[in-house]
Amino acid sequence: MASNTPSMFKSGFMKWFDERLPLTPTIKAHLTEYYTPKNFNFWYYFGSLAMLVLVLQIVTGIFLTMNYKPDAATAFGSVEYIMRDVDYGWLIRYMHSTGASMFFVVVYLHMCRGLLYGSYRKPRELIWIFGCLIYLTLMGEAFFGYLLPWGQMSFWGAQVIVNLFAAIPVIGPELAVWIRGDFAVGDATLNRFFAFHVIALPLVLLGLVAAHIVALHEVGSNNPDGIEIKKNKDPKTGIPLDGIPFHPYFTVKDIVGVVVFLMIFSAIVFFMPEMGGYFLEYNNFVPADPLKTPDHIAPVWYFTPYYSILRAVPPFFGLQIWGVIAMGAATMIFFALPWLDRGAVKSIRYRGNHWKTFFTIFIVCFLILGYLGVKPTSVWGQFGGAWASILDTKDVATWVARLCTVGYFAFFVLMPWYTKVDKTKPEPTRVTWGDAPAKPKHGAHAAAE
Amino acid sequence: MKAKFLLASLAVALIPSLSFAAGGPEVKIVGTTADRTDVASLQRGARLFVNHCLNCHSAQYMRYNRLTDLKLTPDQIKQNLMFTTDKIGDTMKAAISPKDAKEWFGAVPPDLSVMARSYTTERLGAYLRGFYKDDTREIGWNNLVSPNIGMPHVLHELSGTNTVKATVFKADGKEVKDDSAAKALAQKAFIASNTMATFEHHVEKKDNKVESSYIVKTMVPGTDGRMTPPQFDVAMADLTNFMDYVAEPHKAKRIQLGILVMFLLSILLAAAIWLKKEFWKDVH
Repeated sequence: MASNTPSMFKSGFMKWFDERLPLTPTIKAHLTEYYTPKNFNFWYYFGSLAMLVLVLQIVTGIFLTMNYKPDAATAFGSVEYIMRDVDYGWLIRYMHSTGASMFFVVVYLHMCRGLLYGSYRKPRELIWIFGCLIYLTLMGEAFFGYLLPWGQMSFWGAQVIVNLFAAIPVIGPELAVWIRGDFAVGDATLNRFFAFHVIALPLVLLGLVAAHIVALHEVGSNNPDGIEIKKNKDPKTGIPLDGIPFHPYFTVKDIVGVVVFLMIFSAIVFFMPEMGGYFLEYNNFVPADPLKTPDHIAPVWYFTPYYSILRAVPPFFGLQIWGVIAMGAATMIFFALPWLDRGAVKSIRYRGNHWKTFFTIFIVCFLILGYLGVKPTSVWGQFGGAWASILDTKDVATWVARLCTVGYFAFFVLMPWYTKVDKTKPEPTRVTWGDAPAKPKHGAHAAAE
Repeated sequence: MKAKFLLASLAVALIPSLSFAAGGPEVKIVGTTADRTDVASLQRGARLFVNHCLNCHSAQYMRYNRLTDLKLTPDQIKQNLMFTTDKIGDTMKAAISPKDAKEWFGAVPPDLSVMARSYTTERLGAYLRGFYKDDTREIGWNNLVSPNIGMPHVLHELSGTNTVKATVFKADGKEVKDDSAAKALAQKAFIASNTMATFEHHVEKKDNKVESSYIVKTMVPGTDGRMTPPQFDVAMADLTNFMDYVAEPHKAKRIQLGILVMFLLSILLAAAIWLKKEFWKDVH
């Protein structure tokens, strides 16, 4: 660890400083002498981008908090006040609302990278678990934050989600009242959600991110080949042969990623902040009205795969709880991934057809579920004829969602089996880089580099 | 449900139709739109808004002095657009008190500050032109875009009085063979209409039998008001334009700043790529 390394300074202020706080040893351990595989590709931008968005959200959030009022009577108005009368308030608000959605874009791609290259496998199980906790916390953070503008979708979205807890047998209804602090979503709910959104969850998030990164730097980064660069060290220096210092190589590389990301981010903020109603829903420009239920309540896009799963599961034994359980399981099952995967290799480059098939099914199902979650269940019409009489619901979309829910879970539940029997390709001993060593054939993913 | 809007430009030349998801029936609008940067249009819209809308509605987040955005001086705003008792920094409040409004209309008319954002500008433009005489209703008016809405046609003095012709298309087993034939006929009539029209599908259950019918409502021009139909059309484009401005006063500035930011970022991108290439030269 950093603290064991002596200061690089022989005398002077920095020596004095390092003896009291390991500043330069920490910089060495995490930046200038943190050896990173040189073969990182496109997928490896999203970790640093997630950090960037986290900082953006915290900074813009601080400025929003200066003018926002967490009060049911004035919350909606205070947001409009920010949008109109606060200097550049509109910019800060759009950055925060766009940032929320882009956080999920970046995190979903970051998680997808982990799946593609087996970054969750031994010895990185803890990194993966911290990552899953970050994801869950982020969902909570987004949910609490969405109530704050106090529009119709804020109100009814919170109503629907809190009511999920009411589906728990026996204690459910009491639990829902306890969460809301009232019999319906109201001022008390807004106040506590504000507290969670601006203090509680950001603190948890920062702690988890720190743990995620410290754990990563302890074992070292994975790479698109899924092999350990620490197995091939220079015998004299002890530095991995395929590793290069994070700083300056990956700092300058990540700056390119950051600027490209900021261009996409700015295009949304400045030219299409509502993103066609997906980042800012039209109905949320109507103040919350407990007496008027909107025709169609759809969660924000990043929750829709899970919302689809919730809707797809029918009640059994007169209980509504199964959908909630399925939705919960769909988010929690990620934790088990390091122990479900028994493959001989980590990276998709050397995986067999079984894994590739199930992975494709998983991604397709996730996307279809996400699409269906923003639409009413009637979107694809109804079954007619003989089928109609034996089905519990005739909506085609509901049945597609059920099929996709099965596909989603099959990826995880069947993983111990299909990864074990899969015909994998041999891994190289050194990372794939430039001309040497010769690249093994691994299909479409070489193009990602 | 998808609503299809056909927008005609000022010269009544058709521009491509655009569709988006929104509540209510499928609507076809024949009308003009105004440019957000057209200050004269926005000023005319402001006058219409203040003279007609603010009697019952508020725009409680919009300050009068912000109208200097529209190249109006504070004196012009005070003299032409404000009630004499208001101050220039005040927000736009309805002439009628919320208590009276509740008593007279049964509900306080909704605030219009961000109406163009929630209702969408396209639907708003159609809604303002969508009023017609309907004697079956207590208020005497109805609207094609938001059927059975509580608001009367407050601009009828300007527009005159229109009526609506409803045609029902239903399978009868003879000339109209089946449901799909009825639907095709209804769609044909909907598309062929040269005035504003709506298309609705009705499904009714009667004695275990499902009855399906398609209703096409078309606007029938009636008496003229103080404005001719083309004049009224432009006036509604101006009013919609102004309400779009009120919903997001900084929109013009946002887009302007965005272009500058994109330009600066592209310079930064070139520098970043160069920097990366320089450093990575020594990675073998």
